[in-house]
Amino acid sequence: MIAALPEIPVAPVPAVRNVGSRPAAVVNAPAQRSDHALMLAVRDGELDALGELFERHHGRLFGYLAKLTGDRSAAEDITQIVFQRMLKYRHTYRDDGSFTAWMYHLARRCATDHYRKANAAPQATDPADLHDHADEAPHAGHRAAARDDHALLHTALARLDRDDREVLLLARFQELSFAEISGILECSVGAAKVRAHRALRQLRDLYFRLQQEAAD
Amino acid sequence: MNCQRAREVFPELLDARTAATAHLDARTHLAGCPDCQRDFATLSRTADALGALPDPAPSPRLRRNFYALLEEEKNSAASVRATVERSRRTSVWRWILAPLAGAALVAGGFFAGQRVAAPAAGYSPALAQTDAASRRELEDLRRKVDTMGQLVGYSLLQQQQRPTNDRLRGVLTSALRADENPDDRVINELISALALDPSVNVRLRALDGLFPHADREVVRAGVLASLPREENPIVQVSMIDFLATARDAEARPALEKLVLNEGADASVRTAARRALAQL
Ligand SMILES: [Zn+2]
Repeated sequence: MIAALPEIPVAPVPAVRNVGSRPAAVVNAPAQRSDHALMLAVRDGELDALGELFERHHGRLFGYLAKLTGDRSAAEDITQIVFQRMLKYRHTYRDDGSFTAWMYHLARRCATDHYRKANAAPQATDPADLHDHADEAPHAGHRAAARDDHALLHTALARLDRDDREVLLLARFQELSFAEISGILECSVGAAKVRAHRALRQLRDLYFRLQQEAAD
Repeated sequence: MNCQRAREVFPELLDARTAATAHLDARTHLAGCPDCQRDFATLSRTADALGALPDPAPSPRLRRNFYALLEEEKNSAASVRATVERSRRTSVWRWILAPLAGAALVAGGFFAGQRVAAPAAGYSPALAQTDAASRRELEDLRRKVDTMGQLVGYSLLQQQQRPTNDRLRGVLTSALRADENPDDRVINELISALALDPSVNVRLRALDGLFPHADREVVRAGVLASLPREENPIVQVSMIDFLATARDAEARPALEKLVLNEGADASVRTAARRALAQL
């Protein structure tokens, strides 16, 4: 159950931890290059630059995918595939591209593939994942109130339609402009805004209903 | 301002990036309307709670796998770098040489005393005409090949040659999948079918499936590698058409070889000649 799992904050990983596996050129880079500059370098053959992009973004991408899928091991697989595709399709990265938007665009494709496969094959669910956040039935008592609140919110998120969850998570956390979100979701800017707000309202309703049920 | 109009502005008021600016009307309404205040407060609490939700951390496996993958890709990239460099040089020279060649033709025409008006973009009109003509002929050939391919496909289905048809179905499925999800496994299936399948029809269909992905290096390289071993003129012409459409400069030596090969089918040599003019 939740209490048994240590909560590990997703802070950016301390640089010391990576020195062994990261190429020296990246670690010693004099000035910090932008994501876009790094991805252009990857495209032009400096593959090590993807290591820096991985360090900058994988934690956040994983967190997003974990909330989107409600399944840690799936989120880990999808994160892996996203970076794999960045390597494979690096030649398609555009001069006028936005790296973050591209990353979430790839993530969306990979997540869709994942769902397609998961729907085709009988679901093999890792019980650890369920305990992680999917089933957090509210338990009264000793658990910290904040924990319960997180659990309720996870449950509420899980009950949203996937499209609503997606637009909400993209809009609120990923530091993307609505222009970029609309590009990722392939809809208009106005539609993306409306969908994000509608999703927030739905989440609010679910969340407050669950809180009320827990209080009763 | 009424409640509905005010609530339409809530998304902006809830977004830290836009909350500070303007929306004075909505804020004034909010200050005096308990209903909207309740609505706004609960939305705001939900948004805050969502923001406070801790992100789980991935296992160390993710980083390990990523760097293993990166190493693997670096090794394979190093082995093809020579080829890529060569193709880059070729295309750079093409950009430099093409206008020069155009200019030389114009200058030549001028000195020969022909009264040719200098074309705006430095292109010789004669070249442009050849280009358009060869494009037309290529399209024509492609149509013919398509028709032939359909006939072959039809007769094969009529004969109920099961093994071939099964392979054909496989290729058609791959082609469909490649369209919506061009991952390398599917692309590889199509390239292998093109290179190895004994049936003309299967090979033609595989090539069709690869057409939408002609912009990818691996696809062009696959088609180019299959060209010398291909013996059927229909498939040969299709492959040549493919490489010409993709403007693959790497194909030049293989095409030149075909043009000079007296044993090759006349239509194949013609197609190769046209393609060379187009590259
Ligand atoms: Zn009101």
